[in-house]
Amino acid sequence: MDHLTSEYLARLVDEAPTPDEARHLAECEACTAELDGLREQTRSLGSLPELMPPVGDWAVLEAQLRSEGLVRDPSLFQRLGLAQTPQWMKAAAAIMLFLSGTGTGALVASNPSSSLPDVAQLTEVEDAASAVRVAEQGYVTAVARYRELLAEDGGENADADPISRFAALEHLVMVSQAAVRQAPSDPFLNGFLASAMAERDAALRMVSANRDNWF
Amino acid sequence: MINDSMGMTERQLIGLAADGDARAIRSLYDRYAPRVYAVVRRIAGDDDLAQDYAQEAWIRAIRALPTFRGDARFSTWLHRIAVNAALQALRKAETRKKREGPAPVDVAIAPTHQDSLLQKQLEKALDGLPEGMRRVIILHDVEGYTHEEIGDVLGVTAGTSKSQLFKARAKMRVTLAGLAGAVQEHGAEAWTI
Repeated sequence: MDHLTSEYLARLVDEAPTPDEARHLAECEACTAELDGLREQTRSLGSLPELMPPVGDWAVLEAQLRSEGLVRDPSLFQRLGLAQTPQWMKAAAAIMLFLSGTGTGALVASNPSSSLPDVAQLTEVEDAASAVRVAEQGYVTAVARYRELLAEDGGENADADPISRFAALEHLVMVSQAAVRQAPSDPFLNGFLASAMAERDAALRMVSANRDNWF
Repeated sequence: MINDSMGMTERQLIGLAADGDARAIRSLYDRYAPRVYAVVRRIAGDDDLAQDYAQEAWIRAIRALPTFRGDARFSTWLHRIAVNAALQALRKAETRKKREGPAPVDVAIAPTHQDSLLQKQLEKALDGLPEGMRRVIILHDVEGYTHEEIGDVLGVTAGTSKSQLFKARAKMRVTLAGLAGAVQEHGAEAWTI
């Protein structure tokens, strides 16, 4: 029998040989070596690594995605890792952010120890910007508190201290009261204040219940 | 459950990316870009085309994300989109070439990243194969598609896929032997059973 052609041998990489082919391979070292080489080549192809795209590839892609409207920037909540925040808390944070510009005075008034200036009273742009930055820091601190609350809401931190939760909600009530002082007739703000107070009262009841259990 | 740098599972990431969240899309890109680029680069046989095809694949995938139901693994779904995008783009390019007349053959250069000599030789040998053979051997031997799947993707019969694969393997063997500097054409003597 003549040697097997390379194409026949290529088939034998993943198919069984016919009896004739098997007999030939058993006797022919050249064909056996060629088949081994083809098997090794196939194995090597299957092990080829992934390839890194060229540098700058993402920037080009991102621009294209944006031009097609397929990408939107993360919201402030997502940037702060608060994508799962309940709607009522988002509303609270939005109010606080809004107040950081116009209502800083009210917030400061609720905290006599603070030395924050009233943004509305500032005339220099730099001073106003600085005050807003300080207010924003306060905002970030507040949302960090909300995050702790969320962990408890989601059961991620079942052992969280109910007193801390109550304290955070108390802070939320205080902030929303400041908002209502800014706009006493706003139904949304009043509704939010009522929700925050209800949450706080529920937390208080939880604290009381836990205290009763201690004795 | 795989968590990314954002501390999210892949399912969460996909959900956010489907809503257009830039960070989630970037995270999926970081995770799968090398896989997508590898398959389109090998199908395209050319670096510049590969980048265009990969971009097209990603755009299609992001556009189709809301329809991803999770029946298959995301990586499999994305891979299929990448293969289809590259093949479709090649077909378009071929049609255009035919319309515009013959153009200089663009033999792709070896990949520019650091890799082994064997890998470079394999990539070069793949690039040098005729289009039909290259597509089949990449899909079968590199990407692990069955002949039936290749038939579906390329619009040929499983038998045609097999025939192209065996020819491609044999041709690659000769090319690799040449690249290694030791030409040993096994079939040179018209060996038959």
